[in-house]
Amino acid sequence: METMLDISSLSRSYDDVMVVDDVSFTVVPGRVTGFVGANGAGKTTTMRMILGVLAPTSGEVLWDGRPITTAQRRRFGYMPEERGLYPRMKVREQLVFLARLHGITREEAARRATELLEHFDLGDRADDVLDTLSLGNQQRVQIAASLIHRPDALVLDEPFSGLDPVAVDAMAALLAKEAGDKPLLFSSHQLELVERLCDDLVILSHGKVVAAGPVEELRGRGPDRYRVSLDGGDIAWIRDLRGIDVRDVDGATAVVDLCGVSASELLSAVVARGPVREFTPVRQSLSAIFREATR
Amino acid sequence: MTTTSIPPTTSPYAGTDSVRGAWRVVAEREITTRVREKTYRYSLLAMVVGIVATVVLSSLLGGKPTDHTVGVVDERGAGIVTAASAEVDRADDGSSAEPRELASAEAAEQAVRDGDIDAALVPTDDGYEVIGDKEIDGTLSAALTSAASGQVLESNAEEQGVDLGELTAGSAVSERLLDADAEDAGSRQVAAFVFVLLFYVTAVTFGMTIAQSVVQEKESRVVEILAAAVPIRALLWGKIAGNTVLALGQIVVLVVTGVAALAATGENGLLSSIGPAMAWYVVFFVLGFVALAGLWAVAGSLASRQEDLGSTTMPGQIILFAPYILAVAAGEGVKTVVSLVPVLSAMIMPARMAEGGVPAWQIAVALGGNVIGAFLLVRFAARLYERTLMRTERKIGFGEALKLSD
Repeated sequence: METMLDISSLSRSYDDVMVVDDVSFTVVPGRVTGFVGANGAGKTTTMRMILGVLAPTSGEVLWDGRPITTAQRRRFGYMPEERGLYPRMKVREQLVFLARLHGITREEAARRATELLEHFDLGDRADDVLDTLSLGNQQRVQIAASLIHRPDALVLDEPFSGLDPVAVDAMAALLAKEAGDKPLLFSSHQLELVERLCDDLVILSHGKVVAAGPVEELRGRGPDRYRVSLDGGDIAWIRDLRGIDVRDVDGATAVVDLCGVSASELLSAVVARGPVREFTPVRQSLSAIFREATR
Repeated sequence: MTTTSIPPTTSPYAGTDSVRGAWRVVAEREITTRVREKTYRYSLLAMVVGIVATVVLSSLLGGKPTDHTVGVVDERGAGIVTAASAEVDRADDGSSAEPRELASAEAAEQAVRDGDIDAALVPTDDGYEVIGDKEIDGTLSAALTSAASGQVLESNAEEQGVDLGELTAGSAVSERLLDADAEDAGSRQVAAFVFVLLFYVTAVTFGMTIAQSVVQEKESRVVEILAAAVPIRALLWGKIAGNTVLALGQIVVLVVTGVAALAATGENGLLSSIGPAMAWYVVFFVLGFVALAGLWAVAGSLASRQEDLGSTTMPGQIILFAPYILAVAAGEGVKTVVSLVPVLSAMIMPARMAEGGVPAWQIAVALGGNVIGAFLLVRFAARLYERTLMRTERKIGFGEALKLSD
């Protein structure tokens, strides 16, 4: 059995305003879970509660089915939304310090810091003071800081913001390698990125989970939608068919939702009227799901 | 593959008992960061130089031996001056009086006026006259007077065939001090003042270091990562421990410098009388510093930016400044009372001990009060620190912090 990270009915209020309201979801090990929601939806607050930096008003975080301990939380890797490291401390020294806080020996910490810095091509900047690095490089060091102690789980708040596409790819590759079979939760505004990287998705709106599950499943949710194209001619007659809901008609192409007939029944009906060039199921885009869920 | 929540203890990533060790890592960073700072090293150096200068100067000004040259016009006068020299040496450690033969009373007077000699001893019709320019050294004058009367008495007695020993039998007067500590009273007061001054300066310096170190972590937001890695209390213990070591190190360096300087200038008497007070001073300093260290950390955690420290560190500044002023300005009675009040006593008691004559029970009360005071204050501060550290958005007042829930 692999170790799951369960978020169970977490709530947090500030001055009677519910910022996070009864949020529950599971971060499955070995799968990348994306955490999306509009600004102020409660993503950061939820992540801070998972890390124990903020106490929940109610609810709990479970690790392996049991309430999580402080010792276990220390074995998590965390990248807060508001980036922060010691600006006047040397890069490697800083990483070694953080690793030692997590209980790792100095020697091992130094080895690990060198390894991570080299991965980011920052090996030659190891003895430079952090704030002499460019912002992009500081961001890389920040990621290294969250990975320095080989965490059991990763919770990253907007890890890709401020990175160029090449850096995003490099970081995504590193995260995939580092996370391996461990739970990885990250939040992001960049839906294409989430679509590309995530296996599971949790959508938060106004402090509540409005959709959660495997990305494929979420996209498959909703009506069975098909695009039908004839090999020439006008398809307007499709409106007369029963058991479908026509969403759009444009010349020889129509988009319809099935409501009562099966896909093969629809296909037979269309083929009966002439040659068909295209008949494909339409999967919802993530942004459509997101818009729908947070509407 | 099977994973469990308990990592194998042999792995360097196990971190089993590291929750307890985290404060040491924090303390170590506090120390290494500070020691590398140039301002830290220069200010310590300046204080060391200051102490050496104080000891050397006071030794030069206070106990400098003087060799008085006294003009005489006859053999008897020369004898009186030679006899007086022993008296001058006894009264004013290492000083002496030396006769210089001059032709006449007029010549002697002129030599005094010219500053060639310190004084002149010239015979008059009914004895001798000590002539000085603007003033005559008190010790010298007294020694000359007593030597002159002694010599004249002796020769008169001889002339008249009287046994001087018999005549003066039973007239010997010797001194015995009940409060032997009162010797060096002036030097001891200086020592007490230096104690208080260095206590104040060191405590404020390292108190501010704690507050700044906390607010820097809030400003740079690294505190969020730290709080996710270790319990907030471990951060507090680490800061208190690290800065206490630094402050203690500084005090020890200064005390050792003081001892070495006193020994080098030959002030062994003063050294042996304030030596115990110096040892207690270090003990009281540690207790007093630890008691306030938590409050300095809270001052940092209430602030959201460096600029807020001015107001949030006010309580700490006052708690240190009050006994400093009292130690300098207050009377004996007030000082005695304050030297028994926990925390304030940490500064006042060693100063009183340097001045001497403090009953043992008062020292015990001050010590016990400080141990309890430090314990309670640190606990209180830890609660406030935990409640306020993660609130980075704005400055929080002390009153507001007390009302906050966890």
